[in-house]
Amino acid sequence: MTWLVALPVVIPLVAAGLALALAKHSRVQGVISVVALTAVLIVAVALIFVTHTVGPQVVNVGGWAAPVGIAVVTDRLSALMLVVSAVVLLGVLLYSLAQGLADGPKGAPVAIYHPTYLVLAAGVAMAFTSGDLFNLYVGFEILLAASFVLLTLGGTGERIRAGAIYVVVSLLSSLLFLISIALLYGATGTLNLAQLADRIDALDPGLQTVLQIMLLMGFAIKAAIFPLSAWLPDSYPTAPAPVTAVFAGLLTKVGVYAIIRTQTLLFTDGTLDTVLMVAALLTMLVGIAGAVAQEDIKRLLSFTLVSHIGFMIFGISLASDVGLSAAIFYVAHHITVQTALFLVSGLIERRGGTTSLVRLGSLAKVAPALGVVFFVSAMNLAGIPPMSGFLGKAGLLQAGLEDGTPLALVGVAVGLATSLLTLYAVVKAWNKAFWQEAPAPLPEASVPRGMFGPTAVLAAVGVVIALVAGPLYSYTDAAARDLRLQDPYISSVLVDDGRGEGQSADAQGGDS
Amino acid sequence: MLQLIAVHLLAALAAPALVSRFGRRMFLPLALVPGSAAIWALTRLGDVLAGEVPVQSVSWVDSLDMHLTFRLDVLAWLMVLLVGGIGALVMIYCAWYFATGAKFLGRFAGIFIGFAGAMLGLVTTDNTLALYTFWELTTVFSYLLIGHYFTRKGARRAGMQAIIVTTFGGLAMFAGFLILGAMPGGSFSLSELVREPPAGTAATVAIVCILVGALTKSALVPFHFWLPGAMAAPTPVSAYLHAAAMVKAGVYLVARLAPGFAEMDTWRWIILITGSATMLIGGYRSLKQHDLKLLLAFGTVSQLGFLILLVGQPNQAVALAGLALIGAHAMFKAALFLTVGVIDASAGTRDLRQLSGLGRNLRGAAIPGFLATFSMVGLPPFAGYVGKEAVLEALTHDGGAYESALLAVVVVGSVLTFAYGMRFLWGAFARKPGVADAQLDREPPGLFVPGFVLAILGLGAGLLPGLGEGLFERYAATYPAGEPGHLTLWGGIGPALALTVVIVAVGLGLFAARGLVERAQDAVILGPDADRGYRTLMRRLDRAAVAVTSATQRGSLPGYLGIILVVTVVSAAIALGSSGVQIGQVRLFDSPAQLLVAGIIVIGAILTAQARRRLKAVVLLGVTGYGVVVLFALHGAPDLALTQALVETIALVVFILVLRRLPAYFSNRPLKSSRWWRAALGALVGVLAMALALIVPAARVADPISVLFPTEAYEYGYGKNIVNVTLVDIRAWDTMGEIAVLLVAATGVASLVFARTRTRTGRVERMRDRRSGDAQVWPSELEDPASRLRPAQGTATAPRRARSWLTGPGALAPNRRSVIFEVATRLLFHTMLVFALFLLFSGHNAPGGGFVAGLIVGIALTVRYLAGGRYELGEAAPILPGALLGTGLFLSAGAGAVPLFFGGVVLQSVKIDVDLGILGEMHLVTSLFFDIGVFLVVVGLMLDVLRTLGAEIDRQGEATGTASPDIAHDSPRSSPDDSRPLVDAGGEH
Repeated sequence: MTWLVALPVVIPLVAAGLALALAKHSRVQGVISVVALTAVLIVAVALIFVTHTVGPQVVNVGGWAAPVGIAVVTDRLSALMLVVSAVVLLGVLLYSLAQGLADGPKGAPVAIYHPTYLVLAAGVAMAFTSGDLFNLYVGFEILLAASFVLLTLGGTGERIRAGAIYVVVSLLSSLLFLISIALLYGATGTLNLAQLADRIDALDPGLQTVLQIMLLMGFAIKAAIFPLSAWLPDSYPTAPAPVTAVFAGLLTKVGVYAIIRTQTLLFTDGTLDTVLMVAALLTMLVGIAGAVAQEDIKRLLSFTLVSHIGFMIFGISLASDVGLSAAIFYVAHHITVQTALFLVSGLIERRGGTTSLVRLGSLAKVAPALGVVFFVSAMNLAGIPPMSGFLGKAGLLQAGLEDGTPLALVGVAVGLATSLLTLYAVVKAWNKAFWQEAPAPLPEASVPRGMFGPTAVLAAVGVVIALVAGPLYSYTDAAARDLRLQDPYISSVLVDDGRGEGQSADAQGGDS
Repeated sequence: MLQLIAVHLLAALAAPALVSRFGRRMFLPLALVPGSAAIWALTRLGDVLAGEVPVQSVSWVDSLDMHLTFRLDVLAWLMVLLVGGIGALVMIYCAWYFATGAKFLGRFAGIFIGFAGAMLGLVTTDNTLALYTFWELTTVFSYLLIGHYFTRKGARRAGMQAIIVTTFGGLAMFAGFLILGAMPGGSFSLSELVREPPAGTAATVAIVCILVGALTKSALVPFHFWLPGAMAAPTPVSAYLHAAAMVKAGVYLVARLAPGFAEMDTWRWIILITGSATMLIGGYRSLKQHDLKLLLAFGTVSQLGFLILLVGQPNQAVALAGLALIGAHAMFKAALFLTVGVIDASAGTRDLRQLSGLGRNLRGAAIPGFLATFSMVGLPPFAGYVGKEAVLEALTHDGGAYESALLAVVVVGSVLTFAYGMRFLWGAFARKPGVADAQLDREPPGLFVPGFVLAILGLGAGLLPGLGEGLFERYAATYPAGEPGHLTLWGGIGPALALTVVIVAVGLGLFAARGLVERAQDAVILGPDADRGYRTLMRRLDRAAVAVTSATQRGSLPGYLGIILVVTVVSAAIALGSSGVQIGQVRLFDSPAQLLVAGIIVIGAILTAQARRRLKAVVLLGVTGYGVVVLFALHGAPDLALTQALVETIALVVFILVLRRLPAYFSNRPLKSSRWWRAALGALVGVLAMALALIVPAARVADPISVLFPTEAYEYGYGKNIVNVTLVDIRAWDTMGEIAVLLVAATGVASLVFARTRTRTGRVERMRDRRSGDAQVWPSELEDPASRLRPAQGTATAPRRARSWLTGPGALAPNRRSVIFEVATRLLFHTMLVFALFLLFSGHNAPGGGFVAGLIVGIALTVRYLAGGRYELGEAAPILPGALLGTGLFLSAGAGAVPLFFGGVVLQSVKIDVDLGILGEMHLVTSLFFDIGVFLVVVGLMLDVLRTLGAEIDRQGEATGTASPDIAHDSPRSSPDDSRPLVDAGGEH
């Protein structure tokens, strides 16, 4: 079943080319996008089953045996990320299609929306499945380039200003990443992750730490970890709602994914765990303080996004099976809930004419269904049981207690405080946007069903996750165990005496 | 039990639709839902009496030890009966309480039933994490119910206060449960915890945390302030949540854990202090209330303190009394709230200063009111009396200092209870001098029934004390200390009875002196006001949040970049410093030429950073770029040098195209001070990068994989040009991604430029579309020196197409035309195309490839554009760039996917030898198709850039009459001095 592995990247790219070539037919474009992302979702679900039952799936692209060629690898972690991202991408796509339908030809997304969106999907998938550090960089580049375009869609002054911050910061992070890649290659002579895992151990420990820091810098900017997080709340909220939703849900998690991958595969001696944990705690607190201080629902959500990245980093920095498992669970949870909330905020803006909490009001009266979706998602974000946010948090806190070091215990306390403050922030938002009387009459507007549907489905995922939490947690447990054992990954990539599966290695054998 | 909860859940989901459709009468059938729980509990009475505990367990999240385990022991049975029974009665009450046309009743019904379901789970589950789950659900539902009248500011604020305070406690309790679960000897099962209570510091911390949860939920001091605020909810909610059910959750939890932990010192002192303070403060405060509902709320606070004080004791007899009082309190307090609701509905006010004569005029409310109050103040033969007698009896029995203190608190608290009970009766029903009898509306009989039922049940339970004892003694026996107690109506003449008499007497005295008491309370302020404390705290929190955010979120891009770079430099420097790594042997250069080039690059870079003019910066940047080209060439990498040179050229062209629309100078110079630290930071980053570059190669541990490339590229990739094979085959996966980047970048830029006019889906502009009135391309203010030599416009003869070298320049302003350029273009263009094709096909074995070929076509197009303007571009490439880009990506990625259909690996390439007869044999490697895709994307990119940054910007400039400024030389208006740039007058676009 290894042929499945490349499809999550190839399908959206082929579709993107097709969609761009057919730029004049916006309906056809829509169909292409939906079909492509649905196919990706199906493939991803299949991959979950295959990886869970058989083991990591590896393709050596073009038959070039790793480490000469690029290995595309899907293990449990990658497969889960693929499924969640496919769900989110498809949901947001349907939402934006409905938005286009509702607003008529004028509001229809510009012709490049679909190709760019599909390229973004391909980039995310490439990053999640990459078994090669440089290829991971390429994945980042793809999704960044696509995100630059999506962020500045329409080209209003505000978006260009926000885009400038985002683009420059992202380029700096890419630059740091690229420097780290060069250094790693210089030190080890390889970029294949599995082979790197072997070779890094032989390096001087001090040098290992330096390389780890350089690599983490690039990822931490993307993941928005304090003190490298300030760019996020300044850039995300200005984009169109579906774009912000997908950015908030997915892009930061690609950074988190990269951190998980490198922390478990490459740098396992735990030198920086303490630093990472301190950063995680600061991220939680500073982020949530920002959320409490906001008067705009989109900015508020952006700050909660930063804050809750801290939860995942906390789980990673515990460097234990339980911590990692809970962090992975939390990533899956957070992608869906944050996307749902940003989609809701888009609907709120549509119905209420603004996202400012000072000017909003009365939505509970005029849009009760929207209220339900917002309330459920907001409570999920705040970690109210029995929804997914609570389960993720429970796992993280248990892992923190199990760790038992003073810092981890402080982390548990900070996590609890952050939950309370998150609740405070979202309840404040609810009180203002939904309960208080609107200071000025709301515009005459309605919420199109086509936009509400995907939002509601994504919001419901939080509840569904709670129902299947048992199997899902055993899945993430297994994923975390594999990651920390390293062996399933390394031995599936380098099957044959340090080489991957593929004919190029044979060619060499014949030569000598 | 899970089934019952599921029924609640389904009913909660269905209720909004049902109630909206059928109106408030739907509350009657819906009352069956909580009622079913009570009925089910009654059917299990036999089992419970026999000591058989039904258990049900469903696994939920095994990894987290979260299980849906339920069990119905005596305590759970009592709580289920209360939750279900009172829930049903209050729902029946609702069917008449709300006005027929009341809004949001459907939602109210759904949340109410949901709450009942959560409460049911809370009191029956044995798993601590499941308990926390239900616990938080009750909090959230309570928030929504308190905010039912959400247009009132008070309701919103009270709801927020309730959810924040109780969630604070809930999270503390959650932490406590987690600690108890994670510690050695701990467990997530309540029954196991009680059976073998863990000990030690961690357990003590956990117990304190759990008690914080219980205290906030049951509104004990210092968290009591949220409960009176919660009276903003509709009265049925107050009766159910804030008297009978939810606030009992804390009491329940204390009772649940007491058999295991009540002898712990920390536990005992927390219970004694908070319970006593709550009982006394609540009673004291209620003596001053004028709103009947608030009077009852403070009374509830007091009673909750009392109950926790009792069930939290290790003593069996006290616990027995406490259990009895839990039941009694639920009945009388719910009845009283319902009565107040009736009074409110009927008289239109709850202010006891305005109510008068209701005792005579509103019998239906007065009778349950009196009955319930008698139970509350502890008069025989009501349930409250039985419980309180048992308490006094137990506490007068064994007398340590602790017990004596407890006894004193209970007695004083009971005096206060008696006094406010009397105050309630007087306030609600008495005929007051100087106050006219209240005008009463007639209320439907259904509204009176639930209160009656509850009050009479209170009487009935009091008359049959043996039944209660038989039930509760089993649970009380699990408490660790003391002798079994008894519930009885007549305990004989003794100290307990004497104390009751004292309580009644002093209570009556306090009531009689109520005016004095009120004045005294106004005069004396007892301690800090918790409510005000909460508000101050939240205000400070908001302020701190704003302070933190404004400190970290400056909104300045240089600031953000600075932080990132500082963090990088500092952390890497610390790590480098503390490691033992050394700079290895450095070979300064291979040939002196490298040194020279490096020097040029360095100078170019420094000057670039210093330049104030954009054009100067771009050109200097080009210097560094071409310097790198030379370095590549010197290193023996012709492919890289070629590619880099083309990229530099194109970048220069693109920059200059863009610069036409930008101010000539960079905007305001940063302040001198910040310039210094920026320069220093930049230098530090550079030094760090250099140091790493010097250190790392010396530390190399293994041969690089590049040693494998030459053989494999030839043997398996069938190509001698390793760079090309790497690009289109070995690392084709990367290349495929990168062309997607190109595609997105090109289309993204285009969409921004075209966004202003929305003519994106337009066509290619060709000469034939041009009309005679259209403006000239590239108009110029400067006088055309050659104009005298030209024939006058309009006198020209018919166009002789065959005689012009290029057609496009016909649209140009005359002084922009250059015959030499046009001729050279005409000659070069096709040559370049052929050369590009050659590179494309030969790239596999010689320098070249799709990327380079595409760039050369791009340069050819650039030349056409520069020679003839935008119409010439349209003539040269009458195709939309999107089509090229899309086709290219489709081809590359598609070619990659093709092998999958033949059982191969993605992007696998095959060598095909085609015999072309007399032309000889052609070796075709399928990766060529991939390379053609790359080629198309690059051409598309270049065309896109020219079309948007060139042609479209020209067009917009012509349309608005703001032609592009001349940037090649200084415009007469601009200052030649770098230090005095022009003020940025042009728009930002």
